[in-house]
Amino acid sequence: MDKRTLRHEMLRILDKDRVLSDDLDVMYYSYDSSFLTKIEKLYPDVVVLPRSTEEVQKIMRFAYEHGIPVTPRGAGTGETGGSVALTGGIVLDLSTWDEIVEVDVANMQVIVRPGVIHADLNDYLARYNLFFPPDPGSSKMCTIGGMVANNASGLRAVKYGCTEQYVLGLEVVLPDGEVITTGGMKSKAIKNVSGLNLTKLMVGSEGVLGVITKIRLRCWPKPKARGIVMAVFPALDDAPATVLDVYQAGILPSGIEILDQSAIRAVNQFKPEIALPDAEAILLFEVDGNPASVEWEGTTIAEICRRRATQVEWATDPQRMASLWEGRSVTATAAARVRPDGSRVFAGEDISVPLSRVAETLRAIRGLGQKYGIPVVNYGHIGDGNVHTAPVIDPENQAEVEKVKQLVHDIHLLAIELEGSTTGEHGVGAVRRGYAELEHGQAVGIMRAIKNTLDPKGIMNPGKLF
Amino acid sequence: MNFKELPPVKDQIRKCVRCGRCRTVCPVFAEIRNETAAPRGHVFMVQMLRDGVVAPNAKIYEKLGNCLLCETCSTFCPSGIDVHELNAAARAYITKNQGSVAKHLIFDGLWTHPHLLRHATLMMWGAQASGLQKLARGLGLTRLLPGDLPRAEKILSRIPLRSARSRLAETNRAKGERKLRVGYFLGCGTDLFNPDVAVATVEVLTRNGCEVVIPRDLKCCGLPHIANGKLDTARSLVLHNLDVFTRLQLDYIVTDCASCSSALSAKNLQFVLGEKEFAGRAAEFARKVIDLTAFLVDVLEVNTWELRATGPVRVTYHDPCHLAKAQNIRKQPRELLGLIPGVELTEMSEADRCCGGSGTFSLTHYDLSMQILDRKIDSIKATGCDTVATCCPSCTIQLRHGLKRHGYRARVLHPVQILARAYRGAK
Ligand SMILES: Cc1cc2nc3c(=O)[nH]c(=O)nc-3n(C[C@H](O)[C@H](O)[C@H](O)COP(=O)(O)OP(=O)(O)OC[C@H]3O[C@@H](n4cnc5c(N)ncnc54)[C@H](O)[C@@H]3O)c2cc1C
Ligand code: SF4
Ligand code: SF4
Repeated sequence: MDKRTLRHEMLRILDKDRVLSDDLDVMYYSYDSSFLTKIEKLYPDVVVLPRSTEEVQKIMRFAYEHGIPVTPRGAGTGETGGSVALTGGIVLDLSTWDEIVEVDVANMQVIVRPGVIHADLNDYLARYNLFFPPDPGSSKMCTIGGMVANNASGLRAVKYGCTEQYVLGLEVVLPDGEVITTGGMKSKAIKNVSGLNLTKLMVGSEGVLGVITKIRLRCWPKPKARGIVMAVFPALDDAPATVLDVYQAGILPSGIEILDQSAIRAVNQFKPEIALPDAEAILLFEVDGNPASVEWEGTTIAEICRRRATQVEWATDPQRMASLWEGRSVTATAAARVRPDGSRVFAGEDISVPLSRVAETLRAIRGLGQKYGIPVVNYGHIGDGNVHTAPVIDPENQAEVEKVKQLVHDIHLLAIELEGSTTGEHGVGAVRRGYAELEHGQAVGIMRAIKNTLDPKGIMNPGKLF
Repeated sequence: MNFKELPPVKDQIRKCVRCGRCRTVCPVFAEIRNETAAPRGHVFMVQMLRDGVVAPNAKIYEKLGNCLLCETCSTFCPSGIDVHELNAAARAYITKNQGSVAKHLIFDGLWTHPHLLRHATLMMWGAQASGLQKLARGLGLTRLLPGDLPRAEKILSRIPLRSARSRLAETNRAKGERKLRVGYFLGCGTDLFNPDVAVATVEVLTRNGCEVVIPRDLKCCGLPHIANGKLDTARSLVLHNLDVFTRLQLDYIVTDCASCSSALSAKNLQFVLGEKEFAGRAAEFARKVIDLTAFLVDVLEVNTWELRATGPVRVTYHDPCHLAKAQNIRKQPRELLGLIPGVELTEMSEADRCCGGSGTFSLTHYDLSMQILDRKIDSIKATGCDTVATCCPSCTIQLRHGLKRHGYRARVLHPVQILARAYRGAK
């Protein structure tokens, strides 16, 4: 179908101010936070901003009938090009559909529409002493829909796990416009093992199976106390060894983060007032729970750290904690500061390896950086082996772009070789689908069969996942 | 300077990782809610312009124009991108290649000559006062100003008959011993719309041992020109004002207007003049420029023993973007208010959220500006205060308009006005 007709048809379904049908307007939807979309120009034909299940159904029925590709999109903070249309068609911007439908305090759950921003949801839940634990670094901007579709997680995954653990049920508009409810049509149960688990199938499906239009989430009681231990290590290997010792002592912190030297320098350059000590590695442990257990866990962790660390700080003062943790939370984008004319690129940024191989991984990535002459900043969720690598290049220098593509490929292969995965939390999208067979072997065939059953015409987010 | 060579365009675009952090803090995005109005979207479009993927045209100007230049995004951007400067640079680039006649008339003509500007506002005042708006429109006066003025005219209601310049002497001697000699950068907004603020400023400064010089040949700070794509004009205005102030021997250059002090700050002068031209005279000038409340609190020790309580005044303070975000001046206005006996300060929620005024934005984007303003007025109403204090003439005009629209009775004053009243012992 030609662009003009398609735009015209969308204007029949939605009001004018919720259809972007101008060549200039659709250009703004050519990117997310991925490196891929920084170097390629991928424009949709039309962008629509639906705000009801019926609207989504109408759009999907039309698209299905005419075989038009549809790409769902939340806030576009993804790192994999997932929300960008690779072959034109319709982009469904769901970020304005942001109702919190119901907070069911008695049953510890909340029902939301896909566009609710993660931080806003938790601000809202705080009134009820509840929270939705997964906490991506993009909390202040990403949508719950995007989190479900990407099965996002964050700093606290080591204790609280990923989004999937909290999704009790979903409303999904399938590619042909039909609506299903997973997790039980009427269910408000927290425990439910009846039937094939379609909720789990949809979580992490990256928009290739359908459009998530409603989300029933389990909430947890908000912990009363928090504390942070910061420990500075002269040698890289000291860090994973210390993490293991902490686990062995019977403690499960809510977060264990590592910054290597490159990340420490990036943070200090960005915000000198944070003043992290210059070292090979810094570990940040967060513990939460009731005040007495937090005190005990924090001081015990601090003691364990002192065996190897040159400097240890244990803080429960909110201000000090905030600034210690701020160091970690700004690392992602502050990474660019290690090179005045450079920028951090989001590629090969998210591999996950077994805990026992973290130090080996960090060293190997450093080596790869040196091999290609590209500065890399390493940090990540060491507690669950999720390593974030930020290569810093001049993205407008073609030679550097080519080199970084090689570097990233090597990092992905390294992850598979070290018994890990190419992505621990950001997902596959358009950028990692090439590794599907290598990672999953024959299982990819089954994934494709499922996709074909639900989406025989292949219109849902084509070119993603596998 | 060539658009592509401007420092933010040359060095910063590549640093945008499109993380979207700026999306959630932008007051315009909060209303329009699609990517074309996201700060990240603006950075993207400036890149497209730079790379020649799109040609400079009115449509792109319109998209980039959905921005208050409030700097909120820039203060939050983890990559250190001055999104507002990129936007302003692109507006200038488009205007240069595709100017509109009305704009040239206004920003190169009217707004570079204080007398002409005064004349135009007076005519508008006359037109309003005598119910001759039609005539003013017939004369093309309202059409001269950018945007949708007929409706926006309401914002500019009650233009005072006498400007501050006509009420104040060029040199105002210190009362008692002279401690400092300061230049008063009397901006257009204060001069024409809030002359009482200027009178209070001079009164408070002279009472506190300052000799106050108000150069007669001062011109606009250039901020409206930057916002409206007239970067070159802004540059010549800055150079003119530099000449004026360099001739005078001054310890400080004080202004009550948040927009003026941010326009004259080192950061902005670097942007307008470029690194090379900034070094030297302009840098020296920028070092002397200081916001009035910061000057009173940080530099002068304000004489508090002559202050008399003026009955309880319930005040809430609105942070102008150009003070809070552009210069990180948040404490001083509040401290100053705290010195005044009888003032009870109640914080409103999101005190530093933009009011949507932003100079000419409320004139060019009336409806959008009102949507942004409504949120602000709701926050003010929730405090129950009878006085809103703020340090920017543009915010003042906007807030007055909003309070009137909502039928909420409260005065909008500069903290220095409340201070001056306390010196006078008046209500
Ligand atoms: C600075 C920064 C830090 C980050 N930190 C983390 C982190 O710590 N952990 C983490 O997991 N991720 C992180 N991310 C990645 C990203 O923010 C998350 O994956 C997030 O969940 C994406 O949400 P979004 O709303 O931006 O979705 P988008 O990027 O818009 O979309 C992501 C995917 O979901 C699909 N999708 C979106 N909405 C729907 C829907 N309603 N129905 C069906 N499919 C849909 C899209 O098609 C796309 O494939 C980070 C990103 C940035 C920029
Ligand atoms: S916050 Fe900065 S880096 Fe992130 S998208 Fe906005 S401008 Fe780009
Ligand atoms: S300067 Fe203000 S209005 Fe403009 S993009 Fe940034 S936050 Fe939005």
